[in-house]
Amino acid sequence: MAEGKTKRRAPPRRRRGEAATEADVVARVLRAHADGDYAARVDVGAIRDPVLAGLAAVVNVAAEQARVRQDEVAARMEAVRLGVDEAIDAMVRLVVQGDLTGSLRLAVTDAALTPLIAGVGQVMETLKRFVTEIREAAIQLSASSAEVLAAATQNENSTAQQATAVHETTATMEELKGASHQIAENAQTVATIAAETLAATQQGEQAIRAFMESMEKVRHNAVEVDEAIGKLSRRVERIGTVVEVIDEIADRSDLLALNAALEGAKAGEAGRGFSIVAQEMRRLAENVMESTREIKNLIGEIREATHAAKEASDGNKRMAADGERLGGAAMSSVMGILAGAQGTSDAARVIHLATQQQRSATEQVVQSMGEIESVTREAQAGSRQATGAAAELARLAERLAAMVQRFRVE
Amino acid sequence: MSPGLPLLLFQVGARVFAAPAADVRRIGGSLVERPEEAVPDTALGRPWDARRGLVVDGGDGAERTVLVDGVLGLRAAEGDELVELPAFARDVISTRALAGFARIDEVPTLVVDLPALVRERRDGEAAPDREETNRHG
Repeated sequence: MAEGKTKRRAPPRRRRGEAATEADVVARVLRAHADGDYAARVDVGAIRDPVLAGLAAVVNVAAEQARVRQDEVAARMEAVRLGVDEAIDAMVRLVVQGDLTGSLRLAVTDAALTPLIAGVGQVMETLKRFVTEIREAAIQLSASSAEVLAAATQNENSTAQQATAVHETTATMEELKGASHQIAENAQTVATIAAETLAATQQGEQAIRAFMESMEKVRHNAVEVDEAIGKLSRRVERIGTVVEVIDEIADRSDLLALNAALEGAKAGEAGRGFSIVAQEMRRLAENVMESTREIKNLIGEIREATHAAKEASDGNKRMAADGERLGGAAMSSVMGILAGAQGTSDAARVIHLATQQQRSATEQVVQSMGEIESVTREAQAGSRQATGAAAELARLAERLAAMVQRFRVE
Repeated sequence: MSPGLPLLLFQVGARVFAAPAADVRRIGGSLVERPEEAVPDTALGRPWDARRGLVVDGGDGAERTVLVDGVLGLRAAEGDELVELPAFARDVISTRALAGFARIDEVPTLVVDLPALVRERRDGEAAPDREETNRHG
């Protein structure tokens, strides 16, 4: 392939294979152009085909024009690049130095850079405006963030105090719940004891009634015993009377026997038999008197026994009467106690129910306080976060203010 | 006192005496039909209960009843059981109504002359001195 300048010559006569080869040459140059190599040329003089030669010439012209254009574009692009770079450098310098008071001045002047310059100017104006607004906003933001920080700090303190108060209240409610549990248990115990006391009092009433009935029976029995003792005493007295008669008879018999013996003794031998009979009679009388003495002794013992029995019976009657009286007093007391025990049992039952309700309510309150405490802790954490965020915001505001402070807009 | 004398044993207070049965007309109870005939208090002492009365001849044609606590029975005293009262005892004892001693069941027992005792009492010759009687008995 021939490079550089082209020169027109009369195309030589060629054969068919040579046409294909010339087309390839043209194709290769076109491919090089497609690849961006506009320096590639077709040697027109080497092409015999007039059409191809014409085409080759056109290709060469197009390539030349493209190259020129490319060079021009490249030059402009370079200029623009330089201008952009300059603009960027100028903007960077402006931004770095923070001087937004002037305008952009470029060493490279190109019409293509006019929009850029205009845009940059707008950017600078916009930037100036932004900086001014940001500065004002930074100032306001700094002030507001300080207020927010103060409010957040106060809120955090208040939340901390609230959390402390809630915690103390929760602890107090826990103690109250424990006390309520104990009270409820004690109330249950009291109710149970009151019920047992009531039952025992009722049993006591029954026992006293049974006791009074027994006393009545004892008194009745004592009266019967008294009557029996009276009958016995009367019979014993009758026996004593009979024994007195027998004793009198025995005494008289003894006396008679003595007189008989006396007369028999006086009669001497003639009265011997009489004396013997008198002696036997006296012995009989002595036996009778001995028996009557024994009977009298027995009667005396019976009298003593009946007297003792009578006294015992009288004592029993007195004790039965005392027992009835005491039983009546005890019954009155027990009835009073029973009424009191009934009232106590009822009151204890009511108290037990109330304490159960109180315990349930206390447990609910404790649960609610626990939830409140959890929420409070979350709020406290949120307050701390808010305070932290407010502090961070204040720092950011300060940083922003410091950042925009270095920009001069006037 | 002759052997084989039937003696009536009687008791006055705590002491036992004997008297010839022939001197006792009868034995009675403590109740006397006529109180003036009762002799409750003699040289022998005063009876505790006076359940029996020994009716004797009062010496004035009337009967007297010597009150005693009891009549124990009749005993026939044999010869060696009867002892006359010694002379010195007769002199020192204030009453003359004691005839002697009889050994009854080996126990010396005064034999009393009841009619004489009644007469003494009636006449007031012997005041009943229980201490002195107990000492000599």
